[in-house]
Amino acid sequence: MADNPSQQLLDMWKRQVEEGTQAWLRMMGQAQAPTSAPNMGMDPQAFWRPFMDQGMAAWSKVMTQGTAPSPDLMAQWKQFLDQWIAAWSRVLEQAMGTDNFAQLLGKQLEGFLNVSAPIKKAAEQQIDASLAGLGIPSRAQVVALARHVAQVEEKIDALEDTLNRILRRLPDAGAPRTERA
Amino acid sequence: MKDELFTMMGEMPAMSPELLARMREEANRNLLRMKHFGEMVMNPKEPKVGPTPRQEIFRTNKSRLWRYESRRTIRTPLLFVPNLGISRPYIFDLMPKGSFVEHMTQQGFDFYLVDWGVFGEEDNGLTVEAAVTRILPRLARKALESSGASEMSVLGYCMGAPLSASFVATHPDFPLKNYINMAGPIDFAHVGLFGKWLAPGVFDVDKYVDTLGSIPAEMVKMGFKLLKPTMDVSTNLNLWWNLWNPDYVSGFNALNKWANEYLPFPGEFFRQWVRDFYQQNKLIKGELMMAGRRVDLREIRCPVLAVGAKEDNIAPPACVKPLIDAVSTRDKEYVELPGGHISLIAGRGASVHCWPKVSSWLAARS
Repeated sequence: MADNPSQQLLDMWKRQVEEGTQAWLRMMGQAQAPTSAPNMGMDPQAFWRPFMDQGMAAWSKVMTQGTAPSPDLMAQWKQFLDQWIAAWSRVLEQAMGTDNFAQLLGKQLEGFLNVSAPIKKAAEQQIDASLAGLGIPSRAQVVALARHVAQVEEKIDALEDTLNRILRRLPDAGAPRTERA
Repeated sequence: MKDELFTMMGEMPAMSPELLARMREEANRNLLRMKHFGEMVMNPKEPKVGPTPRQEIFRTNKSRLWRYESRRTIRTPLLFVPNLGISRPYIFDLMPKGSFVEHMTQQGFDFYLVDWGVFGEEDNGLTVEAAVTRILPRLARKALESSGASEMSVLGYCMGAPLSASFVATHPDFPLKNYINMAGPIDFAHVGLFGKWLAPGVFDVDKYVDTLGSIPAEMVKMGFKLLKPTMDVSTNLNLWWNLWNPDYVSGFNALNKWANEYLPFPGEFFRQWVRDFYQQNKLIKGELMMAGRRVDLREIRCPVLAVGAKEDNIAPPACVKPLIDAVSTRDKEYVELPGGHISLIAGRGASVHCWPKVSSWLAARS
């Protein structure tokens, strides 16, 4: 452990990240016994440890050796964050790709639907009653009207299609005559 | 105190002129970062998107057909079919020098864009079948009539690929010259995380649609954000890093506007999309029925190009490529390009890798 306070701070932060990762792993039920060759597929520490160590080394150099601050430091820090995000992205993708996560997500959505369905129905009934009292068309009535308009438009389009098909079959009809932009 | 400061300054190691210049540049960039950040927060400007001139050819209900005219040095026009719902199609014509549409028109293609539109509650009865057998054939025919051409190439992007493939496979009378699948899922057995989350037994699509009616834009947004939870962090980090660069900032503003405009799904469309495609994988199995006809991808007999993106987590390459084995043509090619689902077709990388590949492949066959 370095005597330098900055180095101590960074070491502490690094330790916290490691502990946080292990806690997260335990929470996901994926905790594994440490091995000499960590499984790259399952251990998120294996993703971030190399660049974490590299980043720490760079920072330590700056903090402990008193070298002049360089703009490269910012680039290194950005690279460090990019790699960290990429590593966590892979870890999360793996976790979210499990059957357990899919089941959990499905249950969450179902729970949401179970709660929201009666609320939605009650709110609609309440609003409809209020609008009816004021003599204003309800949302359902407006939607039904819009649906009718769309259906009428669809029928006109279908008629136009039929007409064009018939015109094309006529020997001297040439190009379709009906145009509606 | 003043003396101490001067002493500290004096103790700092001597800097080379090169290092000093770089430090000055970094300081300058920090000033620009602050300036642009201030502008973004205090005086945000609405980015101008969709710069390429266009003309509305046809409109039916919410859907429109747009024509982007070119010098027409290429005889066969192109019909572009994007996804229905999820997002708006101006991503394909985002900004000058950053637009797939602009590239294709500059290459001499007359470009027709299907804009499915924003469907409302009144359209909840719209199914995939209706989109494929009623809306799409009508728009395609209008494009053909408008161009005066005898043949047309079709390009399906994302969900637009299975939709347009279903259309061309069930409409042998449509004079199809070439077909391109760009990041479009065909074999849903390899469709990644969405495939897992929407699997039968996990996702009850009937309950979902019966309860909500349509799939709200917020739900669509949540699904896509969940697909890549670190996306916002890395986007903001990259923004901060490049905030000094005005070109990057204007590009970010345009892309950010698009990325936050999610669109809802009509309920019945979503039900059929999830059930027939994600849960039962009917398209590649040859079990999909549209208007009483089986969708048989072997009916696609024209030259075919399939483009996958290496980092695509919405339509991974493994679910794009199977189109090549499913069609009945000898002139077929699969390419896998760098980028993700969006960066395959929009952005600087796309202008280097994807656009020239697509336009040159098409030009040689048009």
